[in-house]
Amino acid sequence: MQYLLIHAGAPGLDDAWDDEAWAALNAWLDEAIGSGVSIEGGPLRMDADATTVTVRDGRVIVTDGPYAETKEQVAGYDVIECGDAAEAVGWARRHPHAWMGSVEVRALAGGGSAFHLAEPPAAGKTRYMMFVIADSAESAPPGPAQAWAAEMSGRGVRLFGSALGPAARARTVRGKGAAATVTDGAAGPADQPIVGFDVLECADLDEAIEVAAAHPMARAGLVEVRPFRALGED
Amino acid sequence: MAGIFRQEWGRITAALIHQTGDWDLAEECAQDAFAQALRRWPGDGVPDRPGAWLMTVARRRALDRLRRGRTYQAKLEELAVTAAREQDPNAVAAPDQDADAGDGGVPDERLRLIFTCCHPALALEARVALTLRTLTGLSTAEIARAFLVPEATMAKRLVRAKQKIAHARIPYRVPPASALPERVPGVLAVLYLVFNEGYAASGGDDVIRRDLCDQAITLTRVLTELLPAEPEAQGLLALMLFHRARQAARVDARGDLVTLEDQDRTRWDQAEAELARRHLATALAARRPGQYQLQAAIAGCHAAARTADATDWPRIARLYRHLAELTGSPVVELNRAVAVSMADGPAAGLALLTRLEAGGALAGYYLLPATRADLLRRLGRDGEAADAYQEAAALAATGPERRFLEARLAQITGSATNGG
Repeated sequence: MQYLLIHAGAPGLDDAWDDEAWAALNAWLDEAIGSGVSIEGGPLRMDADATTVTVRDGRVIVTDGPYAETKEQVAGYDVIECGDAAEAVGWARRHPHAWMGSVEVRALAGGGSAFHLAEPPAAGKTRYMMFVIADSAESAPPGPAQAWAAEMSGRGVRLFGSALGPAARARTVRGKGAAATVTDGAAGPADQPIVGFDVLECADLDEAIEVAAAHPMARAGLVEVRPFRALGED
Repeated sequence: MAGIFRQEWGRITAALIHQTGDWDLAEECAQDAFAQALRRWPGDGVPDRPGAWLMTVARRRALDRLRRGRTYQAKLEELAVTAAREQDPNAVAAPDQDADAGDGGVPDERLRLIFTCCHPALALEARVALTLRTLTGLSTAEIARAFLVPEATMAKRLVRAKQKIAHARIPYRVPPASALPERVPGVLAVLYLVFNEGYAASGGDDVIRRDLCDQAITLTRVLTELLPAEPEAQGLLALMLFHRARQAARVDARGDLVTLEDQDRTRWDQAEAELARRHLATALAARRPGQYQLQAAIAGCHAAARTADATDWPRIARLYRHLAELTGSPVVELNRAVAVSMADGPAAGLALLTRLEAGGALAGYYLLPATRADLLRRLGRDGEAADAYQEAAALAATGPERRFLEARLAQITGSATNGG
């Protein structure tokens, strides 16, 4: 089974990320990649670089910022493959983001999946994490998104993605080792649950916005687009 | 020389950003070129084509710095990609190469720059700051003073905006024609915000604020030249010119606000009003009405009245009704209530105002109780008017506004005492 790990941290995360965190990250990657558990992952730009897209009355509304203002900001992701939720939580506990912020564990649902991506991205393209957000606590049916996913994958602007299991069944890890807590539920606001994600590869933000606006949830909820943080970029 | 500086700054930064993709480099090289001009021109004389001189110096400087930097090769690659992407058949046609002899043979890139600075993925305050910094040459300190924030805050705002453009890959381009209808309003909103920032507090409070009005008008004029098919741009320009035409009469010797009905109309700049009228006529000829054209038409009604009594209030009330339908804005509804009170009497206006207040949309906005106060005063209900003036004065944000309301309050309570 595949699981999405959503890494989050406070705005000062970069400055707080110390040698211990780096060492822990390297160890985690060695283990996860070596054992075939790691599928994909990487750092994401934080809230200041995110953009939220909605469609209301047929008009595309673009706003600066994340889908919700939260104390902790999304900073990265991993998709892992392992036996069950308990194992996934185990991997989340060992990730340095667990004590540098939090790690939310979500099961991939609805037939979506992730796979290894070509590195680097195609010339002149930028990768974005797209989060699909419902505007109420009930998660939305995955049905209508299939057509969108097929079209965007066909165009080459969608690399992979998936609906997610219910936010209520998420597990969020905070803290280090024995002192870590694992709570039921997602890290973000309960009335605006993340119900799906997609990784996009686009020429620029305008294209990413156009792709996001076409998603059915843009009309019913919100879609957030945030750029990958490229290796070597500050 | 300050005039040349203002005129050429935006043109040069826009060209350099386009050519190098580096916003900071563009600003610095423009700065260097102007510094050189300040050193050389007093002795050598101002060149025949100062714009071309400045552009050439700035470009040479940019090329020089790029060559020295380790990122030269990377930039070349980036520029190659940008150039390839520019073969987009949907792109708006680039302005004429030789449209302006003063530009050093470089096409006017300011349209790209304006649209990029005003991209909806940037926060509104970031759009305003970036537009002013890159297109007008106002310093960070000057922009900070104009918006009443510390310089460090404004500097951070600018850095963040440029970072977002880079990190999120906001494209540096004029949107394709199909996207213009949704993107042009955003640009106009930024320009109007800049204008209002200057206009609302003008009247001797700060020289910078007057400069904001001038800058907004200049930029809007540039926009009308670069986007001749957009009537709302012409409409906005007309609106700003009508407002500025009244500037000299708006504030009295003590720095207090003078209402429209009390203004000395001989101090209105008729030439500017006439220019505004011509721009409005051009806009209306396109038969695509919009909010700025409507607002300009209203301002034009005022400008056309030789005395306050001669104002065509029924026409203004009708225009406000169209505007309210178009925008759904409660502030417009408020203005409409005032116009109706002038056309049909204060009771009619008060009825509209009461409906508006019931909706709750403008709670905390001082002009709501101020308007109520005025209508009550005109109806002879002085006691209620006094309460409303007090309420309004407490909410008023600036000195001139508060003083005006307190003066009205004094008049009312004075007459209440006399009559009582």
